[in-house]
Amino acid sequence: MLACLFGVVPVGSVIAVDEAASSFGEVVIPSPTKPADASDCVEPVDVMRRDHMKFLMHQRDATVLEGERDSKYSLVGCMDCHNPAGVSEEIIRYENPKHFCAECHAYTSVKIDCFECHADRGLARSEQSSLTPNARSRVLSAHTFSQKLEQARGD
Amino acid sequence: MATELDNIELRPARREFLKSAAALATTLIAPGIILYKTGHASNTPGKKPRWGLLIDTNALSESDVDACVSACQREHGWESDPDSRTDAQWIRKVKLTDPESGHQRFLPMMCMHCENPPCVDVCPTGASFKRDDGIVLVNKHTCIGCRYCMMACPYKARSFIHETLKDQLPVAPRGKGTVESCTLCVHRIDRDGSNAIPACAEAVNHGDRKAIWFGDLHDPQSEISQRLQALGAVKLRADMGLNPGVRYQGL
Repeated sequence: MLACLFGVVPVGSVIAVDEAASSFGEVVIPSPTKPADASDCVEPVDVMRRDHMKFLMHQRDATVLEGERDSKYSLVGCMDCHNPAGVSEEIIRYENPKHFCAECHAYTSVKIDCFECHADRGLARSEQSSLTPNARSRVLSAHTFSQKLEQARGD
Repeated sequence: MATELDNIELRPARREFLKSAAALATTLIAPGIILYKTGHASNTPGKKPRWGLLIDTNALSESDVDACVSACQREHGWESDPDSRTDAQWIRKVKLTDPESGHQRFLPMMCMHCENPPCVDVCPTGASFKRDDGIVLVNKHTCIGCRYCMMACPYKARSFIHETLKDQLPVAPRGKGTVESCTLCVHRIDRDGSNAIPACAEAVNHGDRKAIWFGDLHDPQSEISQRLQALGAVKLRADMGLNPGVRYQGL
C-alpha cells in the first residue's frame, strides 16, 4: 500500500512539472527579422544589439538642440526600414509583441517610452501621398534609410 | 507690474552696453578708427542666422488664414476644435474688427520666436529653449509638463497635450504630458536652410503672389530683411521688449 503510494506520487508530480514547463516556463528567444528589401544596417548587427540605445540617445540631443538631422542614427530611419506601414494589412504598433523593437525589449524586460511621442512605424504610402509632394520628399529624404528603401522599391 | 516690464527691458539694454564696450575696446586697439556700430551690429552676413516670418495681412483673406492652419495641422499631425480651451493650437486664426468702420482683418498667430522668450526664462528644467538660429522650441525629452511656459507666453502660443496620442507623424513627435507649439517647421529649415518654406507660408504663397515671407532677419540682403527695411512692420506687443521674430504688415 505504502509502496503503491510512493510509486504513484512521484510519477504524478513529474507529470505536473512537465505540464507547467510547457505552458508557463518556455522562453522563446526573439529573432527579429531583417527587413526584406534592405541590405546592411547602419552598424554591424552585434554593435547595434549592444549600443543602439547609445546612438539614439546621442542623436536625440543633437537633433533637438542643434538641428542635426543628417546622422545615420535616426529613430525615423529605424522605423522606416524595420517597420514601414502598409507592407502588410496589419498595423504593427509597439504594443504588439511582433513590433521590431518590442520583440527584444519584452525578452530583456526593457521599458522604453520613445513611442509615446515618436512614430512607431515608418510612413505608409497612403500617408505619404496625403502630404504635399514637397513635404513628402522632404520627409523621405530627411534620412538615408528611406532613400535606400525607396530606391530598393524602384519608386 | 512695472518692475516686471523693467526686468524684461534690462536685458537687451545690457547687451547693447556690452556691445558698445566691445566697440570701444576696438577703438583703443586701432587708434584713429572709431567704430560705433551698436544696435545693428549683428546684421552682418556670416553671422548666425535668425529665422523669422513676415506676414502681410493685406494679402490674407479669412480662407487664406484657414489654409495656414490646416496646412500646419497636416504637416505636424495635430487637430483641434478651434474653440476648445485645451486642444492643441500651434497656430490660431485671429479676427480683428474695427468697431467704428466694422472693417475686419484676419491673421495667423503662432509662436513669435522671441529674441527674449519669457517661456525660456520660466522653464524649470531647461526644456523650453532657444536654438542658436533663434527658433524657440520645447525639448520634450526634458519637459515635465508643468505648463509655466504656457502662462508666461503673452501670445498664448503654447498648448498642452492632455490625451494619449497614436500614429504621430515622423517629423513631429508629440506626446501626452508635454507642451508644444509652432516649431517654424524646423524639420524643413534644418534641411533646406534659407530656402525652406514653412507649411503655413507654402499654403498661402502662390507664385509671385506672396503673403508670408520666411528668411534670415540677420542677413540684410535676405528678401525678408529687404522688405522689412522698405515697408516696415509691426511687432505685436513691442512694448514688452521681447523682439518677436514674427512680424506683421498692414495692422
